[in-house]
Amino acid sequence: MKTRKFALLSFAVAVCLVLLTLQTRGYGARAADALAAVTTPIQTGIARAHRVAFSAWETYLDWKNVRAENGRLREENQQLRVEGLLVRETDDENRRLRRLLALQERLPLTTVSGEIIARDWGGWMRALTVNRGRGDNISRHTAVISPDGLVGRVVEVRPGASIVQVLTDPASTVGAHVLRTRAPGIVEGEPSGVLRFKYMSRDGAQIQVGDVLVSSGQGGMFPRGIPVGRVRSIDDRGTALFHYAILEPAVNFSRVDDVLLVTGESRQDLAGFFPSDG
Amino acid sequence: MRALLVLTVLGGGVAHATVAPALGIGGVTPDLPLIVVVLLALRRGPEFGCAAGFAAGLLQDAAGGGLIGVQSLTKAIIGFVIGAAGSRLSVTQPLVQVPGLVILTVAEGLARFALLKMFNFSAPFSELMFYVVLPQALYNGFLGALLVVALAWIESLRARTS
Repeated sequence: MKTRKFALLSFAVAVCLVLLTLQTRGYGARAADALAAVTTPIQTGIARAHRVAFSAWETYLDWKNVRAENGRLREENQQLRVEGLLVRETDDENRRLRRLLALQERLPLTTVSGEIIARDWGGWMRALTVNRGRGDNISRHTAVISPDGLVGRVVEVRPGASIVQVLTDPASTVGAHVLRTRAPGIVEGEPSGVLRFKYMSRDGAQIQVGDVLVSSGQGGMFPRGIPVGRVRSIDDRGTALFHYAILEPAVNFSRVDDVLLVTGESRQDLAGFFPSDG
Repeated sequence: MRALLVLTVLGGGVAHATVAPALGIGGVTPDLPLIVVVLLALRRGPEFGCAAGFAAGLLQDAAGGGLIGVQSLTKAIIGFVIGAAGSRLSVTQPLVQVPGLVILTVAEGLARFALLKMFNFSAPFSELMFYVVLPQALYNGFLGALLVVALAWIESLRARTS
């Protein structure tokens, strides 16, 4: 056993010495060739294993990086979306307030601007709560308008807020006339969310689909000439005393956010201060 | 025995070709085949150490492009000596193995230098020792310590599960 160990060592030493001697005596090329025949396939295998392992590792790292980057980009995307929404929201608000301010400046009326802070959109009642109340000199029956037209009237005043009955409330009535023909009538709210224009004289009215109706100013509650709605359809009742037209409200009550509360009086026709298309 | 030998030589070769360059610090790379040969020779004896050292050294010689037979000779002797010493001395403790690796690396460097000097290798001894052999010896000792700790941990895990 001991002899075998030393024989192995002697063999290894001898081979090495022979190789070294051959190389120093100029037979290096042959010795190297002989060794290369044995070592080259092994080296090739090692290099291949190295390449495979390295490329697998690189692929794994790439995948890991891509995954991490994907997560980061998703997060960034979400943040940008939120920022975009905020910008759009601010932009919308800015545009709304600009329109309101422009209307407030050009109207020959004393008004107070207000923000809608609540909506009561039940079937029986349609009301908005505005953040202006007793402290802002708001009283009952104050007219509430927006850049698109008439919103309604104040029906209840509280210390810091007011309840506005909108035109589509079934209990709401407004004196109005057709802008084109001046045919008078009464606009009432409908539970379905539209307005009904009740007019007296059929032949005198000559009402048409698309006609714009404005407040008549009679009774002194609402200023004259504020857009109320546009005729969507006409309900012809033949020889009946009253005839009806269904109106599309000028204001989208579910989307109105800022309003003007009319605190002063004006006998002037305000139709020219609103968009001509109603 | 043969399968382990082949695995040792090839594993050491692969590690030397792949991991060692990545582990380089300031131009100093560890001699991974030497670490593998020493650690396995301690457990498997002089025959294994000699054969593994010879084969691993031969591969390194062939890959290095220098004189073939230098590293195979020094590693065969180192493998044999440490394999023989492992059965006689208490060298199973990490505290012995790590300084042992440092000393063996220095010894291998010295032996390699002596051999090359015999075959007209002209390099200043002090610079070679200071810049190449000693840093590599310290690095080998450090890596050997990590390997020994890792092996001890794996063995304790195996013992616990069995």
